[in-house]
Amino acid sequence: MDIQDPGFWRAGAISTTAVMLVVLAILTIDSLQDIRAGGSHVPKYDVINQQIGYQYDWTRRMDVPVIGGQQLLFGKLYTEAEAHALMRKGKLVIQSRACMDCHTFFGNGAYYAPDLTKAWLDPAWQQIWMPMTAAKTREDAMVMFLMHPDRYPTWGREMPNLHLDESEAQAVVAYLKWMSAVDTNGFPANFGQTQSQQ
Amino acid sequence: MYRSQKLAVRYFVAAVALFGVMIIAGLLSALYYLHPSLLFDVFNFNMAKIFHIDTLVIWLLMGFMGAVYWFLPQELGREVEGIWLAEILFYVFCAAVAVVSVVFIFVQYGGSNEFSLWFINQGRKYVEAPRWAAVGIVVVVLTFVYNVVATCIKARRMTGILWVLVLDLIPLTLLYLDAFPALTNMSTDLYWWWWLVHMWVEGTWEVLIGCIMAWALMDVMGTSRRIVETWLYIEVMLVLGTGILGLGHHYFWIGTPQYWLSIGGFFSALEPLPLLGMVVHAIYDAGAHHMKTNNRPAFYWILAEAFGNFIGAGMFGFMMTLPQINLFSHGTQWTVSHGHFAFWGAYGCGVIAILYIAKQKISGVNFLDGRAWKWGFGLLNFGLIGMVGGLLIAGIAQAFYERAIGGSTLMAFMAGQENPWFVSGMYARMGFGLIFAAGYVVLVYDLLSAGKHAPKSAVKTQAP
Amino acid sequence: MTPYALIYTAVLLGLFVLAGGSYGGFYSVGKLWTNAAFIRTGIACYLVAILLALAICLFTPLAALWKIFIVLSCLIYAAIPPVTWRYLAKLHRTPEESK
Repeated sequence: MDIQDPGFWRAGAISTTAVMLVVLAILTIDSLQDIRAGGSHVPKYDVINQQIGYQYDWTRRMDVPVIGGQQLLFGKLYTEAEAHALMRKGKLVIQSRACMDCHTFFGNGAYYAPDLTKAWLDPAWQQIWMPMTAAKTREDAMVMFLMHPDRYPTWGREMPNLHLDESEAQAVVAYLKWMSAVDTNGFPANFGQTQSQQ
Repeated sequence: MYRSQKLAVRYFVAAVALFGVMIIAGLLSALYYLHPSLLFDVFNFNMAKIFHIDTLVIWLLMGFMGAVYWFLPQELGREVEGIWLAEILFYVFCAAVAVVSVVFIFVQYGGSNEFSLWFINQGRKYVEAPRWAAVGIVVVVLTFVYNVVATCIKARRMTGILWVLVLDLIPLTLLYLDAFPALTNMSTDLYWWWWLVHMWVEGTWEVLIGCIMAWALMDVMGTSRRIVETWLYIEVMLVLGTGILGLGHHYFWIGTPQYWLSIGGFFSALEPLPLLGMVVHAIYDAGAHHMKTNNRPAFYWILAEAFGNFIGAGMFGFMMTLPQINLFSHGTQWTVSHGHFAFWGAYGCGVIAILYIAKQKISGVNFLDGRAWKWGFGLLNFGLIGMVGGLLIAGIAQAFYERAIGGSTLMAFMAGQENPWFVSGMYARMGFGLIFAAGYVVLVYDLLSAGKHAPKSAVKTQAP
Repeated sequence: MTPYALIYTAVLLGLFVLAGGSYGGFYSVGKLWTNAAFIRTGIACYLVAILLALAICLFTPLAALWKIFIVLSCLIYAAIPPVTWRYLAKLHRTPEESK
């Protein structure tokens, strides 16, 4: 073994890279199982028919989503296929309007606007927008806000009107509800804790 | 000069121009934080942000491609194969960037359909460019790969650096294909998205700049090939050894299994160790070759790269990479601070060093020095350090007030953004950003004029 | 992790790496100029890194495994500059070099 021979380090570089790539491949196969809709960390799309909460789990020592009983979205029970189609549309709205270049999803994106990981669970919908829009439900308030953010401003930094029609706004709300049920290893921590200690 | 080197110069000019666009878009994005009503509904924050980060990727990519077109004929002693095609595609590349820019300025976004993704905006951070443009980038990169490989085959010669380069171009091309899908599931979408963003930036790009810096070190400091190749292999081993699974630090919170917390934390926390070795190496090289360097600005920019990388990636990264901290720092201005410093240290400084190497050859001077480059160097680095300092303060305040105390809700977000510490950090970022921009102006002035008044060398010309 | 613990833990971690880097920097410059004062400053920086590692172990709420990791990397820091330096010197001294 001559550590001054470039060949020694070339062999080292090749073998290290190969080993790491194999490990990554194995982990990826495993992870993709867990994160498919219906995997152990990510719920099926029809979870939007149910109540979703977020609570501290003492065994895992982190906040985890809690899926409760039935809680219809827009008063409708979605089949799995319908829910999937709705999510597809929601994701297309999110991409076409470049939401990620102001907001963050699971903390990824730009940092100009709030993180949307648990936006569905944000107490501000009940506290601010339901009274402001005179909507009866959280999802209706969200739809009204998304369609006309300029009519319901909250502070100096406003959301621009990105011309979502009603079906687009509903798809985004459904998407956010589904996303809030994803197990994100406790991110964000203590969500909503100061506002609504339950 | 070879035709390939003339093409390289064109790439460098385009890269420097886009570097300027990036700075303007960055200043604009910074300004929205201070004046949120600025250009509201005309040109919103997200569009400025898109310009800022997309031009970042493209100017660095163009800088790397230019550097390879510059050094490749020198390395093999012959003209690059299929250079005519590369020349045409350079203009195609520039035209595509221009068309995408026009669409981003005037159309901005479309409806929730595939048409938008193909022709207007894909809306995935860093890969906003519509799919047709992404196809164009694939074509340009494939041509680039063809140029490199075909030239090696024609020359019937392979060096260690070229082997590393050729092998690196395979994942560089393959990973970019990740710019096309629009997966419904955000978790799987982000899982693959990070393969592109992390593996490009912390994998293939690191190796690519390693190859380019190996050539640069031979050129500027006259280091022997055996030494730079040995060092390149060590670097590849360390960078990919920690970087490939370092990918895991992006898999903490996107819905992926819990084991990523340990794997990602461990491998990214290892990163300061090789970087420390690189600092020692840079100082050793500086000492061993200082007297011999014939290109002062390139020499100092190469040094700045080693230190910038250590502080930006090593220190700033280590502060926030352990999962217990990252739970609060992730997705705040703290990340932004780390990102700016690391990108600048790892790539920005390196590309600027190459620009000076090319400048010296073009102006045919034996010794490149002067006063203006020192001002450019000082202002750019001082501006950058100030910016990341401001962002760090803002980021820590955000993590503290919004995340740890406030619980990350909308109200907590607003409280964090209005906190005086946060706001002062943002003002500092803006101010230092202007200093950085001034440094850019000096840099451009110097690149256009450096070496003009120095004595010309008699021999430094190479016939193709 | 409490809000205050978040800040001082992160700052300690950053300073720890900075101290390690300063050690590497001063040590190398001292070697380059054969200047004992610089080498001593480098060693002082390393001592600071040890203290910071200790502080991280004693005062922060990081998990035990991360603390072990910090201690180990602190030990590795000690070796990196001299080992790298010696390796580089050897690499540059081989016969090919003198051509």
